[in-house]
Amino acid sequence: MPSIHKFSKTGNNKRNAENDGDFPMRNWLKNKRIKEDIQHKDWEKSLIKSKDFKKIFYYNQKTNVRFGLTFMATLIDENIIQDGVLPNLLEEEFREIEDIKQLVPVADVQICDDPSLIEQKLLNGYVMLTIETELKHFGFIAAQKEIVRGLSQPEVEFSVIGPKEAFVESMGQNLNLIRKRLPVKELIIEEFKLGSLSKTAVAMLYMEDITNEDNVNTVRQRLTNVKFDAITDSSYIVQLISDNSNSPFPQLLDTERPDRVAGILAEGKIAIVVDGSPHVLITPTTLVEFFSSFEDYFLNWILSSFFRLIRLFAVAFSILITPIYVATLSYHYELIPKDLLSTLITSRREIPLPPILEALFLELTIELLREAGARLPTKVGQTIGIVGGIVIGTASVEAGLTSNVLLIIVALAALASFTTPVYRMGNTIRLLRFPFLFFAELWGLLGIVFCFCVLLTHLIRLTSLGRPFLEPLYPPRVMDMKDALIRLPFEKQSKRPIFLRTKNPIRFSRKKAKEKKDIDE
Amino acid sequence: MKEQPVPERLQISPFLVFYLVMSMQIGIGVLGYQRIIAMDAGYDAWISILFAGACIHVIVWMIYKIGDTVGGDIVTAHKYVVGNFLGKALCFIFIGYFILYSLTVVRTFIEVIQVWMFPELSTFWFSFGFMILCVYIIFGGFRTVVGTAFFGLVLPAYLLLTFGWAIKFSNFYNLLPIWDHSIKELLTASYHMSLTFIGFEIILFFYPFIKEPKKSQKWAHLAVLTTTLIYTILAIITFAYFSEDQLAKQIWASLTMWKIVEMPFVERFEYIGIANWNLIILPNVCISIWIASRLIKRVFNIRQKVGVFFVVAAVLSVIHFLDTREKINMLNNYVGKMGFAFTFLYIPLLFAAVMIAKKLKKGKKK
Repeated sequence: MPSIHKFSKTGNNKRNAENDGDFPMRNWLKNKRIKEDIQHKDWEKSLIKSKDFKKIFYYNQKTNVRFGLTFMATLIDENIIQDGVLPNLLEEEFREIEDIKQLVPVADVQICDDPSLIEQKLLNGYVMLTIETELKHFGFIAAQKEIVRGLSQPEVEFSVIGPKEAFVESMGQNLNLIRKRLPVKELIIEEFKLGSLSKTAVAMLYMEDITNEDNVNTVRQRLTNVKFDAITDSSYIVQLISDNSNSPFPQLLDTERPDRVAGILAEGKIAIVVDGSPHVLITPTTLVEFFSSFEDYFLNWILSSFFRLIRLFAVAFSILITPIYVATLSYHYELIPKDLLSTLITSRREIPLPPILEALFLELTIELLREAGARLPTKVGQTIGIVGGIVIGTASVEAGLTSNVLLIIVALAALASFTTPVYRMGNTIRLLRFPFLFFAELWGLLGIVFCFCVLLTHLIRLTSLGRPFLEPLYPPRVMDMKDALIRLPFEKQSKRPIFLRTKNPIRFSRKKAKEKKDIDE
Repeated sequence: MKEQPVPERLQISPFLVFYLVMSMQIGIGVLGYQRIIAMDAGYDAWISILFAGACIHVIVWMIYKIGDTVGGDIVTAHKYVVGNFLGKALCFIFIGYFILYSLTVVRTFIEVIQVWMFPELSTFWFSFGFMILCVYIIFGGFRTVVGTAFFGLVLPAYLLLTFGWAIKFSNFYNLLPIWDHSIKELLTASYHMSLTFIGFEIILFFYPFIKEPKKSQKWAHLAVLTTTLIYTILAIITFAYFSEDQLAKQIWASLTMWKIVEMPFVERFEYIGIANWNLIILPNVCISIWIASRLIKRVFNIRQKVGVFFVVAAVLSVIHFLDTREKINMLNNYVGKMGFAFTFLYIPLLFAAVMIAKKLKKGKKK
């Protein structure tokens, strides 16, 4: 940082600074400080090994006080130091550490006397200010360098209608996006530092007068109990704080849409923002929420209800159709009416493989395509899609490895699995097909129902933040059905969901029912 | 000794009793009760169904009266009447009853599968898988068991509609003339019908798990009423569909009726029906294992998990030896008789005993 050097009056290196201490008094003080806390020296010993550690000394022009600035050059914004801090410190009258509160035009200026804080503060992008005359106190000036990616469109939860803003990696920016949508004092943001190495900032957001106290306490408790070294994304938090980490189902909803977060905060749920992650977590959730796209709220209720039902049907179809094919063709071909059966037989006549192997072959092909497509850059990914979808599909049918009908079924099932609005849930659904296939081969239709029972039990047992995951299906709550399988119009949604046990269940007071009008009045 | 009340978070809403009672009542019996009742009362048997249903309402009322008086389940009731030791000893019979009950249901269902779908299905391995599932459910606690009961009733409900296909081929003149059987014949049919009806007595075992149990009474009655109506309607459809001589040969009349169902993409609907019946059977077995293990816990003061494993092991070790139709039929008859004795003889007896004990205790206090 050559630009800072023009201010420096003495050596710009720590070793120089130590060498020029030729007053005995100062040496004595220095030695005493070293004896007082070895810890203080410890941080310096390890930090000095890093290239970006800087310690620079200056003299104030009016009082001739010698002061030092210590910082990590890679973490701080040099413009703040150069334009805002240094000119004032050098030119204004500056005698003791307390003065910096007036002199430095930065909001976050702290003075403290606890040397154990130094290391953490320096590594969080603070500049440490020390004065020769006051060795026990030191000031910290916040000068973090904020690298913010520009706002972009949501990619996973894209919607044709509605806002096009998505979260970015910077927590400050994300909080801004949420606060802007809920400018009320009741929105509380609590911050935690998690991860013994990463020290990731994690914020918990809730509405003070709405959100259930127990839920807030549970989340707080779980966040403080997180034991992990490096938390680099919100998905780590999902796995660390969810109720049952052995479940394939995600128990926290993650979204990249600020409007969705604002919406659920108003409902009385809790949002968790993790620094460095463009996905914000929502808890507690229910299974049906994973199948509701936020776009549902932008459409008329009849349309959105219809689309929701279509999506649920797609999920059931996607999980069950290949197993049903395997079950019927392996065991229950009597089920199929004569006309349909002849079509099936014609397409399967040449196939040497039993239905289960045929189905596994195609299902794995689709999974491979998806996996390959997901890891490759977009353009190559498209090629893979064409190669896989058209070439492999057609070729395997022509080679007599799979039947046409199954190819259609598997492709439709794959298509249906992509209709889930939440990406994580889509992954779960693709996985679920395989145990169903196994049981279909084992016990036919009976096996499918058996596997369904296991799945159902798992879902009944699952909780999100201690609240039942299947709600409002089980425990059945008719009141919460208004925004589950279907979405009723907004004027019917005057109450918050029961399962959240909110402090204030009324969203708005419903206007008195419209007076009954007769025709032509 | 004061008993620990069940914490509120483990309790269920009163209206869920409706699903619990109904799903316990509707089980394997529905598949073939028509023949059995028609043997005695001919095609007047639907009157017997209504009569049996009416009797059950009285028993349900008694159950709630017992529960309300002693403020707990049957163990508490026994202690109330005959004291701690004898009370627990009496419960011992019920542990056996519910183990036998779950065994019967599982074995009969496997028999249906073996006759209709997979003749070679291994009794042991299927019941093994089924029991693992039950253990998984019961370990989730009573709420999970109730959840299974709820879905086990709601999801297969569409099956009722499929009996509509039979109406097209029915002749309702079969039912005429009405009431050409003696009262005695009708009562015998009612007795046989009661075996299909049993299951409502479970209220006596999970009474402390109901939030505000008094509110649940109307739901219990409603459940019994609904079951009665379903059984009656199904019986009438069956009687109209089969002639009397034909029905005498149908062990599983309901399944035979499914054969007529025809859709553009599905024939032989009984395969789907039987597969779906798995979902209906599941709560039956789970609830009875839950009750048996709960009783074991209450009587022997051991952990319920141990009790569950004991019950499951007992069922699995016996099920393999029930390999012929005769043995299964015998088991069914025994369990049916036990169930009848328990619900229609023992519960009124217990009711009377509790009422007398209450009077005596009141007298003592004065």
